[in-house]
Amino acid sequence: MQRRIFLKTATLGAATLAFPSLLRAQGKEPIRIGFPLPLTGPFAAIAGDMKQGAELAVDELNAKNGILGRKVELLIRDDQLKPQVGAQRTQELIEKEHCQFIVGGLAAHVQMAINEQTKKAKVLFISTSQSDEITAKPDASTITFHEALNPTITSRVVGKWVMENLGKKWWIVYADYAWGKQNNAVLIETNKKMGGTVLGSTPYPLGSAEFSAHLPKIQAAKPEVLMAVTPGADDIAFLKQVKSFGMHQQMKLAKPLHWISVAKQGGPELYQDVYGGVNFYWELQDSIPEAKRYVEGFNKKFGIPPGDYGVYAYSAVLEVARGSELAKTTDADKVAEALRKSPQYNHVKGKQWWRACDNKSIQDMWILKGRAPGKTKGDWGLLEIVSRVPANEDYDRTCAEKGHTG
Amino acid sequence: MSAVAAWVRRHPVLGFFVVFAIFPWVVPYKSLATQVLIYGLFALGFNLLYGYTGLLSFGAAAYWGLGAYGTGIALAKLKVTSLWLALGAGLAAAVVGGAVFGFFCLRRRGIYFAMLTLAFAQLLYFVGFHLADWTGGDDGLRGIAVPAVVLPGLRIPLDRSVVFYYFALVLVGLAVAALRRILDSPFGTVLQAIRENSDRAAACGYDISRIKHLSFVFSALFCGLAGSLDALRLTVVPIESLHWSTSGQVVIMTLLGGAGTFFGPFVGAGTFLVLEDLVSARTESWPLVIGLVFMAFVLFLPKGIWGTLTGNSAAPK
Repeated sequence: MQRRIFLKTATLGAATLAFPSLLRAQGKEPIRIGFPLPLTGPFAAIAGDMKQGAELAVDELNAKNGILGRKVELLIRDDQLKPQVGAQRTQELIEKEHCQFIVGGLAAHVQMAINEQTKKAKVLFISTSQSDEITAKPDASTITFHEALNPTITSRVVGKWVMENLGKKWWIVYADYAWGKQNNAVLIETNKKMGGTVLGSTPYPLGSAEFSAHLPKIQAAKPEVLMAVTPGADDIAFLKQVKSFGMHQQMKLAKPLHWISVAKQGGPELYQDVYGGVNFYWELQDSIPEAKRYVEGFNKKFGIPPGDYGVYAYSAVLEVARGSELAKTTDADKVAEALRKSPQYNHVKGKQWWRACDNKSIQDMWILKGRAPGKTKGDWGLLEIVSRVPANEDYDRTCAEKGHTG
Repeated sequence: MSAVAAWVRRHPVLGFFVVFAIFPWVVPYKSLATQVLIYGLFALGFNLLYGYTGLLSFGAAAYWGLGAYGTGIALAKLKVTSLWLALGAGLAAAVVGGAVFGFFCLRRRGIYFAMLTLAFAQLLYFVGFHLADWTGGDDGLRGIAVPAVVLPGLRIPLDRSVVFYYFALVLVGLAVAALRRILDSPFGTVLQAIRENSDRAAACGYDISRIKHLSFVFSALFCGLAGSLDALRLTVVPIESLHWSTSGQVVIMTLLGGAGTFFGPFVGAGTFLVLEDLVSARTESWPLVIGLVFMAFVLFLPKGIWGTLTGNSAAPK
């Protein structure tokens, strides 16, 4: 070691020992937000969009003096889409990294494993993926918030719109797991309530998208609308087979949710005239100023327009900040109380609010339709906005139905 | 290092308690230590069957899952308030599962045996998946309230992770002592005789199918205890507990640490989990790193970490 370097290091070391306050004065301890996401596995593309949404939010906060004057740090972890890993990562984020808040998760079962850990550790959690249970007893808690839509809202909104605009005789195809089954049940209920008929409802095992055995039966039944609850890559396989049977000319195609990244992968030939709901679409920038600001910021930082789920992450991180500023602390109970007391916010897509009884975010939805090949807007403009469905608490189950008392 | 290893080998149970009493203060955070302890026990149970009896099972997840769901359902659905009763439910489920599945699987040898264990485990996975009223289905079982430890004149709540660690340490330590006792008994010696040459063991007059079955049940018992403790640790039982990937993970841990060595499984579980914890926080390509480490061990140190350190492995050939 060179003598000069040694001297420098030694002096600095001695100074630090003598005046530990020197170090502390450089800045108050940062506020840490832990963010478990399935960065590896089948949902990696959507998780990537969420990671970017969260990063953008943290950048914006730090550019404006952070939270309560403290710098904000984002700690992203890979939950591998496995509940036990999500739970373990959450424990790590809380115990080792001392995160004051946990935001994130994608897929209901991982959300609920994360939620068990945050409840135990008394850390505020904002969940950013679809789940009916997380705001219902016994999973719900006063410090668990749910930013995303859920199967009930999604299928009631889309189901109602399809009944009014596309047709009343349906056939439903759904993936046989929790999210698929819940959507199927809500779709059937919505259809019945509005005097329609469900000619049939076909489950298939998630991830093994072979429909050719079912399609002739569906074709023969002549439904007006074919409802597809076919998440991720299954969606592409499903639409390909439906096309090859020529069914897209015999009936309307609709689904509870469009995933923009999946639609881009499938291409406009498959997605033309396919209807579906969405929580956000980047073309909303034409009508909503907050959306324009978000899309521009996102585009500038990452060079692509934002997807749908990234908005949940962005909005949830900003809600952590808003709650902390309102409560003037990071204490979970006080931040939660503050958010319930001033429930309204608008970070990206118009007015949203937290329902006080179950901490559910109530928000607008949009119905999109696939554009014809040749009519798309650039790489990402495969879909066009057909209709806006304003936020309404009645689309969710009531708090009494969710097991909340009083 | 090898001097320490040699001492631990001579005094396994004492060595275990000493090492793991200090362990949580060495790793980055307490609940990681608990995870290592529990997965170590899981691998230990698997190793009894694979490393000592020479039976490669791809269905260890079944007994881990039965233990986890047994305890979880007792606490979440049946509202049992005694921790011991809940643990007992998990152990009973695993033992019954091991006895029944073992009876069928042991009709066949080698790859057919391995496939049968896998088939039974997958069978349980789908039962768990569809019995959603009891198991929570693919959302996992939630709402597990962990009762305090109640001993005569003593009541210890387990909500702090360091307390839970030492609670788990006592139970896992007892299991380690029990396993040591089993392996040191004549029965344990026969297990290894079966591993080396089952025909010859049979010719010596041992009822090898009964002994293999007993070994299968003991293995299920240890795996079940591990699963049961994990349900208490996470207060949630994911359906993935029963998935074949859980069985695969325990095979990897055991091989990494050293199959057929007493502590190899613990060393393997510790290495795997600490590595996963540290690497996955830094890069999304962490499975690549773990995969390379695993390949390096299989290729260059086939005795595993512990087997190499102690210069002794009786890995099945």
